[in-house]
Amino acid sequence: MAHFTLTPPYYLALLLLVLTGCDSNEALYLSKQSIIYCSEGAPESFNPQTVTSGTTIDATANQLYNRLIEFDPADNSIIPGIAKSWHVTRDRKMVTFYLHKDIQFHQTSYFTPTRLLNADDIVFSFNRMLDESHQYHAVSGAKYPFFQNAQFAELIESIEKINDHTVRFRLSHSDSSFLANMGSNSAVILSKEYADQLVARDAMADIDMLPIGTGPFKFKQYSSGAFIRYEPHTDYWRGKPQLKQLVFDISPRDTSRLIKLLAGECDIIAYPIAHEKIKQHPNLILESVTSFNVGYFGFNTSKPPFNDPLVRKALSYAINKQAILETVYTGQAEIANGLIPNSSWAYDSSITSQEYSIAKAQKLLTEAGYSEGFTMDLWAMPVQRAYNPNAITMAKLIQADLQKVGIKVEIVSDYEWSTFLRKVSEGEHQSVLLGWSADHPDPDNFFSTLLSCGAIATGSNRTFWCNAKFDQLIQSALQTDNINIRKAYYLKALKLINDEVPLIPIAHSKRYQARAKNINGKLLRSIGGIDFNGVTKN
Amino acid sequence: MARDKVYQEEDFPTPLMQLWHSFKQPPVVMIGFCCFIFLIVLALLANIITPYSPVENHLEYVLLPPAWSNDGNVSFLLGTDNLGRDMLSRLMQGTSLTFGLSIIVVMASLAIGVIIGSLSALTTGIKSSVLNHFLDVILSIPSLLLAIIIVAILGPGLENTLWAIIMVLIPQFVHITRNAVKEEFAKDYVLASRLDGASSIRILRYSVFPNIIEKLISQATLAQSAAILDIAALGFLGLGAPLPMPEWGAMLANGIDMFYIAPWTVYLPGLAILFSVIATNLVGEGMRHALKARKEN
Amino acid sequence: MLIFTLRRLSLFFFTMLLLTILSFSLSFLFPGEQLINLTGQLYASPEYLEALAHEYHQQEGILSQYFSYLTHLFHGDMGYSMTSQLPITSEIFNRLPATIELTCVALLVAMFFGIPVGFVAAIYHRKVPDNFILAIAMIGYSIPVFWLGMLAILVFSIQLGWLPSAGQISLLFEIKHVTGLQLVDILLSDSEYKWQAFQDASRHLILPVIVVALAPATIFMRLARSAMLEVLDTHYIKAAKAKGLTFSQIIYRHGMRNAVIKVIRDVGLQFANLVTIAMVTEVIFSWPGIGRWLIESIYQRDYTAIQGGLIVLSTFIFIVHIIIDFVYAALNPLAREPHHGT
Repeated sequence: MAHFTLTPPYYLALLLLVLTGCDSNEALYLSKQSIIYCSEGAPESFNPQTVTSGTTIDATANQLYNRLIEFDPADNSIIPGIAKSWHVTRDRKMVTFYLHKDIQFHQTSYFTPTRLLNADDIVFSFNRMLDESHQYHAVSGAKYPFFQNAQFAELIESIEKINDHTVRFRLSHSDSSFLANMGSNSAVILSKEYADQLVARDAMADIDMLPIGTGPFKFKQYSSGAFIRYEPHTDYWRGKPQLKQLVFDISPRDTSRLIKLLAGECDIIAYPIAHEKIKQHPNLILESVTSFNVGYFGFNTSKPPFNDPLVRKALSYAINKQAILETVYTGQAEIANGLIPNSSWAYDSSITSQEYSIAKAQKLLTEAGYSEGFTMDLWAMPVQRAYNPNAITMAKLIQADLQKVGIKVEIVSDYEWSTFLRKVSEGEHQSVLLGWSADHPDPDNFFSTLLSCGAIATGSNRTFWCNAKFDQLIQSALQTDNINIRKAYYLKALKLINDEVPLIPIAHSKRYQARAKNINGKLLRSIGGIDFNGVTKN
Repeated sequence: MARDKVYQEEDFPTPLMQLWHSFKQPPVVMIGFCCFIFLIVLALLANIITPYSPVENHLEYVLLPPAWSNDGNVSFLLGTDNLGRDMLSRLMQGTSLTFGLSIIVVMASLAIGVIIGSLSALTTGIKSSVLNHFLDVILSIPSLLLAIIIVAILGPGLENTLWAIIMVLIPQFVHITRNAVKEEFAKDYVLASRLDGASSIRILRYSVFPNIIEKLISQATLAQSAAILDIAALGFLGLGAPLPMPEWGAMLANGIDMFYIAPWTVYLPGLAILFSVIATNLVGEGMRHALKARKEN
Repeated sequence: MLIFTLRRLSLFFFTMLLLTILSFSLSFLFPGEQLINLTGQLYASPEYLEALAHEYHQQEGILSQYFSYLTHLFHGDMGYSMTSQLPITSEIFNRLPATIELTCVALLVAMFFGIPVGFVAAIYHRKVPDNFILAIAMIGYSIPVFWLGMLAILVFSIQLGWLPSAGQISLLFEIKHVTGLQLVDILLSDSEYKWQAFQDASRHLILPVIVVALAPATIFMRLARSAMLEVLDTHYIKAAKAKGLTFSQIIYRHGMRNAVIKVIRDVGLQFANLVTIAMVTEVIFSWPGIGRWLIESIYQRDYTAIQGGLIVLSTFIFIVHIIIDFVYAALNPLAREPHHGT
């Protein structure tokens, strides 16, 4: 018989075994000091001032920066941040912030601070957004959607530096959501010294792409669309973080994140799927937090047929919300009757959503002149968000629902997340599935960001609905601090939305996260981005 | 005494019968052939015999496992997917999409490729060299990339996918036809026909084709398994049949998001693809084996 | 040998010509404005577009436009990606090494495992090992690669936990990008975790390589088997048997060398197929190579990227093909003679 041996393959196999053998102690040590977080998308920029996208805020806001005011994770009440205290005058038109004296900025390969944080930095960070003649205003496109929606430029008359650690804001009128806005994720404090250096180097765009802040982590490396690497800020004023390395592994596909968690390649993952399996797994923990959010089915009211409120109202009778709740949210959410979730004080149980009735829908359609039905497009988000875990499935359900009243729906979803957002802000859609997670506990954040006239220009009002009466109602609600009066205004606003139906609110859902058992620390917050300060691994 | 046959006749089977005879000898090949026929029948009848409509959502029965598991339900034999659609019906309808369309694709590219190939075999010299290089270039572009580019040009959709795959498969047939025809042309019987005064077309039709048809058929079966895999790959990447059509590759892509909680949504379409490709390959193997046996006799 | 080289070079030039013509015509065939498809400048102002139009000779005939396109290519300017607005050349050359790593290692693995197994099958022709190997081979090239990838991840990453499921290397290691070939870069870097990083990168490489190499390995198996069968049938083998050489002597001294030569010829042709499979594998394993980038560009309708990727990928395949042709010619003196006509 033949007596040869296949020696080359055997040697190869042996070599392979040696090469890939067991981990040595040093590698284990490196892994124990680092956390890899699988995120659902790439950040659009490294400065939360310029975006409202939750993905960017998660990646940057609490890691790289601090704000004057912050929210207590336990009850969302206002607590000091960079400002250790503040004083509001009786007419509420002047707010003075007193700053901490020991806050240091990051030191990286591209910047070394020569001084501590002082009032100049506060003045710079806000004037950049509010003053159109500021040299940094137009850098990165002059878009500050959060503040433009809250109309900060009209609200703030001036910002003065009283001394190195005191800043005074003068307001043009009293605004009960001012302090809450100052605590939002977009109100971060940048370094004026760094900004000046960039001007000298003629590299002003770097302020948003190579960030410098005061937060617990500093920027090390970003590989576009692939990963972000952060190092701990050794001189962080609240105490150096215990991690040696924090890495954001950008994995847009739900299944990839799940696989990486199961295979141990990620310690924590965002927006997990397969909740039951994770709960049953001995080494994994599923966490959730009730978020301030709403998922909605919005219409582009500037394009036919959705410029006709009758058509919009007709569709609101044709959607089976219960089925969506069970299939898409797997029961982990509540049906949204209005824009506001019931954990907010502005919620009112008198607002109910339209019942599910095909007959009523058809009647209204015929009234509007569309008894034959029509064709429309429905843009569904390609990524998972807290307010909508699977927009594509939701779109398919809506497609099947609307088919029963003779409407043909084409689902559009094939874009990368930031491209998708951009196109929708430009109004390419007829209808879209989106949502909103609040930046701060004040209900104005829902109303003005999503449906005010001003928000059309900043791109966050994707319904292009502009109603003067509505704008007036929410403006009036900001003039007073009296919660009951504000509540009355907001109730009228909610009723208006219910009648005109620029969007159909679908559900308020929880935000989930899955992590390995050996990770400690509270990462999720009900308002705002995730926070890695205080997260450790054993 | 009435006797049916007085003389013992020698029964010479026709070439086709000879082919069939040596084809059905190995039992594996016969099994493959039966599966192949089964798939063809399924593809033709799918619309009629599916228990449920493949695109209907049964929202009360979302993500049901197959009937043999504890939570399964006999009325949904192979379970349901994330929108409650019956897997069995979708798989059956998918046969006509993935498998049935692959046959159409192969026949089309066979026809076009043979025509181009034989015409180009008649040319000689520089024209022939250029054509050869051109073919080499096309063959060195990855087939998936070429299909993807064609889909990008034409836009997504089922017909455009088909055109893309037809165009990708044509060069193989051109190559084979060209070489085969050139080989035959060098043989003596062609020379004899020419001396008789036959034109090239006539020679092609009556003398050469019958001799190269076996090579073409064997290449066609190879091409068909490639076509099934390509249609499924394009469907998997989302560039093929639009949702909610139950093409097997698209079903697999749909199931990946739930493969941990509902692994049958990934296993079943994959097994379907594997099954049909193996059946096609077995038929192809049997064909090649039979052709070789015939050549040796 | 000279004529052989010259013929190969002329083939190469001709191929490049055809490829560039193909890519150039794509800018007309893709939907959208031709100039934007060519350059990728989605957000350019009208004046800038006019300047570009002048640069690309838009006002002159097609031939002149084509030559200006070629000039830009020679200077390394393939336009800008429509999605990321980065130069295509930098995007491609950031990712090409990863694909080179994956495909070349997979090719070697497929050859090292496929060819010897094919020889074994030929030696035990028509007996149990032969049929067994043929059956495995058939299943091997019938499996859809995307399904195989998912199964491999399910079994090896999740259930057994032996191998990682995505990426080239664990993100914990910071390796400076020098050549782009991960293994080479690790050896060149001065990180304190060099050895662990090398082990980690190898572990990341194993699963994708196996998935990519499976189908080509089975094809090589069949090719090697039929090549060896042909060789074993030849007269000189019979003569060697008659001379009294032992079986293993025959195989090692005469059989293998001649059979391998026959197989190498077809290896080059299979490389395009292998790259196709690698493209889908890159998507499944999130391997940061050109294949995954091209497929994403299709989703994003990034036409400039598709054009650039097509040229580079096809050139790469063709270069490998030509290298293998040279290897074949080195091993087989007969091939070096010029062939007349084709």
